[in-house]
Amino acid sequence: MAVFDTPEEAFGVLRPVCVQLTKTQTVENVEHLQTQLQAVSDTALQELQQYILFPLRFTLKTPGPKRERLIQSVVECLTFVLSSTCVKEQELLQELFSELSACLYSPKSQKPAAVSEELKLAVIRGLSTLMHSAYGDIILTFYEPSILPRLGFAVSLLLALAEQEKSKQIKIAALKCLQVLLLQCDCQDHPRSLDELEQQQLGDLFASFLPGVSTALTRIITGDFKQGHSIVVSSLKIFYKTVSFIMADEQLKRISKVQAKPAVEHRVAELMVHREANWVKNTGDKLTILIKKIIECVSVHPHWKVRLELVGLVEELLLRCSQSLVESAGPLLKALVGLVNDESPEVQARCNKVLRHFADQQVVVGNKAFADILSESLHSLATSLPRLMNSEDDQGKFSTLSLLFGYLKLLGPKVNFVLNSVAHLQRLSKALIQVLELDVADIKIVEERRWNSDNLNASPKTATQPWNQMQRRYFRFFTDERIFLLLRQVCQLLGYYGNLYLLVDHFMELYHESVVYRKQAAMILNELVTGAAGLEVEDLHEKHIKTSPEELREIVTSILEEYTSQENWYLVTCMEAEEMGEELMMKESSLQAITSGAHTHQVTSFLAFSKPSPTICSMNSNIWQICIQLEGIGQFAYALGKDFRLLLMSALYPVLEKAGDQTLLISQVATSTMVDISHACGYGSLQHLINQNSDYLVNGISLNLRHLALHHHTPKVLEVMLRNSDASLLPLVADVVQDVLVTLDQFYDKRAASFVSVLHALLAALAQWFPDTGDLGQLQEQSLGEEGSHLHRRPVTLGNSTTAEDIEQFLLNYLKEKDVADGNVSDIDNEEEEQSVPPEVDENDIRPDVEPPLPVQIQIATDVMERCIHLLSDKNLQIRLKVLRTLGGKCGDFLRSRFCKDVLPKLAGSLVTQAPISARAGPVYSHTLAFKLQLAVLQGLGPLCETLDLGEGDLNKVADACLIYLSAKQPVKLQEAARSVFLHLMKVDPDSTWLLLNELHCPVQFTPPHPSLRPVRLRSAPEQQNPYLANVRLLLRELQ
Amino acid sequence: MAAHLSPPPDPQFVLRGTQSPVHALHFCRGAQAQGCPLLFSGSQDGLVHIWSLQTRRAVAALDGHGGQCVTWLQTLPQGHQLLSQGRDLKLCLWDLAEGRNTVVDSVRLESVGFCKSAILAGGQPRWTLAVPGKASDEVQILEMPSKTSVCTLKPEADAKPGMPMCLGLWQADSSPRPLLLAGYEDGSVALWDISERKMCSHVSCHEEPVMGLDFDPEKARGVSGSAGKALAVWSLDGRQALQVHGTHELTNAGVAEVAIRPDRRVLATAGWDHRVRVFHWRTMRPLAVLASHSAAVQCVAFAATGGLLAAGSKDQRISVWSLYPP
Repeated sequence: MAVFDTPEEAFGVLRPVCVQLTKTQTVENVEHLQTQLQAVSDTALQELQQYILFPLRFTLKTPGPKRERLIQSVVECLTFVLSSTCVKEQELLQELFSELSACLYSPKSQKPAAVSEELKLAVIRGLSTLMHSAYGDIILTFYEPSILPRLGFAVSLLLALAEQEKSKQIKIAALKCLQVLLLQCDCQDHPRSLDELEQQQLGDLFASFLPGVSTALTRIITGDFKQGHSIVVSSLKIFYKTVSFIMADEQLKRISKVQAKPAVEHRVAELMVHREANWVKNTGDKLTILIKKIIECVSVHPHWKVRLELVGLVEELLLRCSQSLVESAGPLLKALVGLVNDESPEVQARCNKVLRHFADQQVVVGNKAFADILSESLHSLATSLPRLMNSEDDQGKFSTLSLLFGYLKLLGPKVNFVLNSVAHLQRLSKALIQVLELDVADIKIVEERRWNSDNLNASPKTATQPWNQMQRRYFRFFTDERIFLLLRQVCQLLGYYGNLYLLVDHFMELYHESVVYRKQAAMILNELVTGAAGLEVEDLHEKHIKTSPEELREIVTSILEEYTSQENWYLVTCMEAEEMGEELMMKESSLQAITSGAHTHQVTSFLAFSKPSPTICSMNSNIWQICIQLEGIGQFAYALGKDFRLLLMSALYPVLEKAGDQTLLISQVATSTMVDISHACGYGSLQHLINQNSDYLVNGISLNLRHLALHHHTPKVLEVMLRNSDASLLPLVADVVQDVLVTLDQFYDKRAASFVSVLHALLAALAQWFPDTGDLGQLQEQSLGEEGSHLHRRPVTLGNSTTAEDIEQFLLNYLKEKDVADGNVSDIDNEEEEQSVPPEVDENDIRPDVEPPLPVQIQIATDVMERCIHLLSDKNLQIRLKVLRTLGGKCGDFLRSRFCKDVLPKLAGSLVTQAPISARAGPVYSHTLAFKLQLAVLQGLGPLCETLDLGEGDLNKVADACLIYLSAKQPVKLQEAARSVFLHLMKVDPDSTWLLLNELHCPVQFTPPHPSLRPVRLRSAPEQQNPYLANVRLLLRELQ
Repeated sequence: MAAHLSPPPDPQFVLRGTQSPVHALHFCRGAQAQGCPLLFSGSQDGLVHIWSLQTRRAVAALDGHGGQCVTWLQTLPQGHQLLSQGRDLKLCLWDLAEGRNTVVDSVRLESVGFCKSAILAGGQPRWTLAVPGKASDEVQILEMPSKTSVCTLKPEADAKPGMPMCLGLWQADSSPRPLLLAGYEDGSVALWDISERKMCSHVSCHEEPVMGLDFDPEKARGVSGSAGKALAVWSLDGRQALQVHGTHELTNAGVAEVAIRPDRRVLATAGWDHRVRVFHWRTMRPLAVLASHSAAVQCVAFAATGGLLAAGSKDQRISVWSLYPP
């Protein structure tokens, strides 16, 4: 584009334009000049700089009113020239500076002139460009004392623009220009760094502006958040760059006590500042006020870039002005520490970098080491922490705790100085305990039960950190989830850096001290251990020696022992212990179970809550305590990793016991603890965990069976173990079964029920481990096949396209079948059937007379059955039912007759008499024993009918007794159970069940298959009032 | 709930898995036991199990006696060599160092008796072994590891004490002469001076055969148990004469083994009545009856430190108890 390379050529072209402009000062002429200038090369332009500037400056200087538009174009043209050339003379620089500044100055007032925004912007840019175009050292000579008034004028002008203008563009430009004027520009055009003397001279000069600049900038910084983050960021930057330059310790220490006489006129000399000690002190005090204001406002600024710049401010001021701004050191550090846990990762990272830098450099602030200041701050924070936790809202708590977190992180191992002071440790722990108090008023927790004590089928979760699936909990003093997270991080840091023995001792003491502290203390202990393992902690202190794995294991062992001790592990969590249930069952009491305070022969005497009647709250609290301890065990496992295997011998049994707990929450948490343990110890699944540590479990089971009164859940653990074991454990199982049977023999009267379920599980396990290859399985298959054919036949007979022949054939078939059923079978048929009998039966029959010793599993089974026969006459209905289920599988005929004669009538009778009561009862009824009995009977009957293969008459009895429970008036759970009975009945005898159900309610009108047959009429009630409608429909759908 | 006022004491844990009655127990002594304490058990089916007391699991099973009952176990002071005696008439020396489980030497026994062997070993490479001898009433003394026979101790013809049932070797600090205590089938206990090959003293303690004995050299006092209902405490005076100090009646007859704890404060007996009885050794005051087995207890052993007691039973279990830890 540059067409005119030589000054001569350029001059030829530019001369007329310049002359023209000098003569007639119009916008057009200025624009014409600028257009021409674009065709001139930079070197040529530099040569002709003064010549070209002349008409422009002339235009500006011409007295009289001028149009703004003209000034603007002149300034823009000037800026263009300056941007391509250098100003090589100090005089020119000063003159241009004055002339440009004057454009914005209204002579009458001290404020910026009321000119257009475009003009303001143009002038600001012009000034900026001018300062950048100063050649070499010219810029330094510019800053001589005599310039002070003019410079000060420009600075205040720019500050006013930055503060008061509406346009964001102008504000930013003004701030940028200010930065340039104060020689803090961060662009690449200032290559030379200043030497000490130059720095000092400039510092002296700028010191005059410091009050104005700092207060104005503070006003901008602490202004409305809505002004946009970039303005605040720029202001912050200018603030700390200026302050750190003027107040730099490096400069100040070289300043002599007596002011050298400046060679300037009196007026200027008055403006000059001498930065001696007093001045520094006073200025420092004033700046501290401003800095505090800034920190208070900016540390909570919603935009992360602003908070990031605050980190820069702290770093710069603490590094360069730690002596002069000694009063600000505290607030500055606090700001930094508060940002350590900032939500923005950038801020966090920067913060950590700065802090690490400080720690590495052993920065000294004032006369105190960095660490001492932190330590003092932590001391004072610890002192006020209980009060703050009490009075602050969630946001306040969060920032206070962030601060605490920051101090701990920074102090690292030195945190022990604070912890070793008993008073401070107590304050700290008091605050933590206080803020972690749980809200235990939620009734649902006590209420939710597990209904079936079946599998531990926890889905294998992939999480490796126990707290990812931590149970949501509610705190009394805060609701923000982040606070809980922060509290945990605080405790983890304490565990990581602090003296673990000291801390664990301290919190263990609190744990013992009162039930009010116990849950919180346990939570804290859990986190301390997690922290001590150092798995989650980002360490700023590389030299720190962690707690050794052996020590950690020792500590965990002692905590574990405490958690699982009798008085802390076996707490009252529900009203109905098994034995109580059994006793009251005889009385058929309904509401008593819930209101009764009399714990007849319960285990209360061993418990923390030995009050006669535990309240819902105390049970709730107990549930939480158990859960927290369970979670703790999971965390311990995580912390110790494979080392935790050595603790399995004491941990696995109690956890497994809780996995079978009736309270839903406890059993869920225990199951997830099991998952955590198997992850930590490197077992592929829960089943592996249980299977490979069965010896530990067996040890626990066998020892606890010796004290069954205390450990009445022991049979449950064995049950779970059996479900998760395989045949390889037969020797162990055989061993412990002996203990079980011996104990059962001692406790027939009291705890038979829980034992019967174990025996059931045992037989089921044996059956599974040693699958029966004999004829039984085949029989079942056959019966299944028959069912199928029954079910398939119906659509055919009911089909609409039936012909008379079909009906005839059906009738003939029917008669034939009836004949066979009555026993009139021809020989030929018989022979055919015999041939179809599988030959294995014969093999089975041919047995040597010598009886070999029974295999272990069969011996066990025989032992078990002997006990079961004994229990068949137990006076407790529930036990009889369970025994029947246990035996039902194998000893069909004998049992069938006993069942039909003795048991069934009673079961049916109790169902019939109880039905009207449950139909009328309210929602509380589901907590009564009567309800549970009904439920148990209904749930048990179905499988029994099927396994015992009952005859038609008995099936009808069962159906009749259960039919009433299909009524919608019954509690939902009972309806469900009744439906399950019918589902089983369908398998045994689909036809009669179908008929029975249709008689209750018939959803379809049956049209006879042939007009010669009469339509079927079923005596079902009309739809509107039929209470059976819903359940019958559900069941019939199953039948189709 | 009165019944639960004082629950019966429980073992700390029970080791299962020998799958055969347990006949011999021994806690590993010496340096090797420091980091990871071990317990050895010998069972009727000829296996020696090595149990880690840290994991409470069997670390290894040594099969060196051809399925014949292991009756006696002992480690040498260094701790990595184990002696096992079996009914297969073999005494095996096992090398257990660095996870090796191999027989490095064996001694052929001449007698099928019930007598358990005994050793006397200090820091020196040479040690003394007492085993039942060829004739039914003899005890043979061997110098190990060379297996050279030192002497054979045979009671005088008129004494007729029957077979030796149990042995104990020791050496008083003051004298260089090794001494042997032997309990005999006729219920008597005899003291032999090995270097002079003569019986110093012989005292009748029980009506029934002596099943086990242990000796406390510091108090110069020993104890023996028999198939009968009594424990006998006897002492040794300055002239090396045995004197019965007193007998202690037991509820049920039959003691398979007696053991004095290394700190000589407590005595334990393995009872055929399924129980382990614990006595105060100085006063012989009964301290506890430990009932956890469901068949005869056939052996008891104390750990060198820490107060652990192990009892092995015919019910195939080993119960480990923490008893008044010092």
